[in-house]
Amino acid sequence: MFTHKKSVWLFLLPGGLGLMLFYIAPFLGGIWYSLTDGSYRNAFVGLQNYINIWKNPMFMLGLKNTMELSLVCAPLVWVLSFAIASLLNRLRPRGAFFRNSVLLPYLMPSSAMLLIWLVAFDYGGVFNRLWVALGFGRVIWLQGVQLRFPIILMFVWKNLGFAVIIFLAALQAIPEPLYDYAKLEGAGFWRQTFGITLPMIVPTAFLVIILEWINAFKIFKEVYFIGGAYPDEAVYTLQNYMNNMYGKLNYQNVTTAAYSFALIVFALFGVLFLTQSSLLKRLNG
Amino acid sequence: MRNGKDKLIYRPPGGSKWLTRGLLMLLALLMLIPVVVTFLYSFFSPEEIKAFMQTRGSYDDTQWMDVKLSPMMFSLTQYYEILIRDTSILHMFVNSALYTVAILLGQAAVIPLMAYGLSRFKFRGRDAIFFGIIMLMLLPFQVTMVPNVLTLRAIGLLNTVWAVILPMWFAPFYIFLIRQFMLGLPNELLEAAQVDGAGTFRCYAHIVLPVCRPIIGAAVALSFADCWNLVEQPMTYLSQRMELQPLSVMFNQLASSSSGIEFAGASIYILPALFIYLYFLKDILAGVQLTELK
Repeated sequence: MFTHKKSVWLFLLPGGLGLMLFYIAPFLGGIWYSLTDGSYRNAFVGLQNYINIWKNPMFMLGLKNTMELSLVCAPLVWVLSFAIASLLNRLRPRGAFFRNSVLLPYLMPSSAMLLIWLVAFDYGGVFNRLWVALGFGRVIWLQGVQLRFPIILMFVWKNLGFAVIIFLAALQAIPEPLYDYAKLEGAGFWRQTFGITLPMIVPTAFLVIILEWINAFKIFKEVYFIGGAYPDEAVYTLQNYMNNMYGKLNYQNVTTAAYSFALIVFALFGVLFLTQSSLLKRLNG
Repeated sequence: MRNGKDKLIYRPPGGSKWLTRGLLMLLALLMLIPVVVTFLYSFFSPEEIKAFMQTRGSYDDTQWMDVKLSPMMFSLTQYYEILIRDTSILHMFVNSALYTVAILLGQAAVIPLMAYGLSRFKFRGRDAIFFGIIMLMLLPFQVTMVPNVLTLRAIGLLNTVWAVILPMWFAPFYIFLIRQFMLGLPNELLEAAQVDGAGTFRCYAHIVLPVCRPIIGAAVALSFADCWNLVEQPMTYLSQRMELQPLSVMFNQLASSSSGIEFAGASIYILPALFIYLYFLKDILAGVQLTELK
């Protein structure tokens, strides 16, 4: 560790300047936009834009869909990836093929995959064949609220692997002697799981849910791939709203929407963070 | 039993390994099938694909789409069409490649440097800066997009390729990732070099960077995956420049009116990603394993 080195600022300079210019300054400067009326005088209107946007049905629709989709996607990837990592961990040191296949989609451009999705989820497609074989009726997957299913599936398909890798690394980092000792003391499988495995992976689990949630807010991608630029109301996301307003040059609306969303995101992650620290305290205390 | 060597390795009881293998095999197939089928369909003739794609969207309950697993005739016509005859898809492919290369080069210059400053130095305000970076990392694109548009417009970069490239150079997630890895490097590593009189930059270039190979490889692969699937940025920052769009934005249109060549387009788009995956697979695994991701 270097101390009292002025040269550190040289290392931080390029990145710092860029972050300032493309992230921090715009973010702070945009706040001014959300507080003015956008006319040629650009008068200060206080929180009027915020009041308007929270009454705007399209914004609320986009917000609701984004939250709902991310509330399904992030926990789904979280739970599935932990389950799969646990299965892989049982096969250790083998199982590399399975691990590698699960990771592959993370590197694949889902944009190129949408063709397969459209074919598989067509009314006469493979998925409906399976569905009928299981004894259900045919479903129109590419319209209305059912659209969410292929979209969520595409998200899970792509994002599962990286979460599995993170969980697997955490599971493998748990020292073996802990389990040996627990076995000597007569602890069974469930006792070991709740007494050793879960407490040891709490920080990792927290990291994965945060990363997946950040990803899940970008679910506009999958919506755009499968539902197009003007999708069904059931999958109209916040990003669609932003794009529409931006197309109409309504900067006041978009910035206000952006900051309203930022508040929600920070509140959400704040709650998650508090949950984690209280959980860790209880487990260690 | 007690002194068996097996005892040392943790084996959770309950259920057989074959069940585990079976479940994982099923999962692996589900993960691989979309990629395999895309490649498979790229060897169908355009006419066959066109006819096949036109059977989509029928709501007749008596009809099914065919499950096509082999072409009537193996054909390279799709590839001939997109690589030689009509190069508009190839053009967008090149756009994608240029964005990706430009973004990765910039990130390579900026991000490890910043991570080094934030991990191997002690100075006042370090934790505050790092906290700020985490906050930025948490912000979804929807939030940063509009303020960014305003800035890019102010400095005259909107609707140029730099609008997509420059902000990505400073992606907070990769700063976070590499910083966490560097934080875990042992102090002795650098102390020896310091005794020999190496300065901070020499330590960076000759010791830290080579040691960080796994995490940098992982970051390159993950960032590649991001760049190769760019949608939001080009759509908003380049909304008036259709000729600058990367291929990832255009598959949507390719699918809506089948021209029979879309699967070859998808396949050549997957190929570079496949190479990156194979080349960096070890780095991703090692990088994640060795990083203090907490």
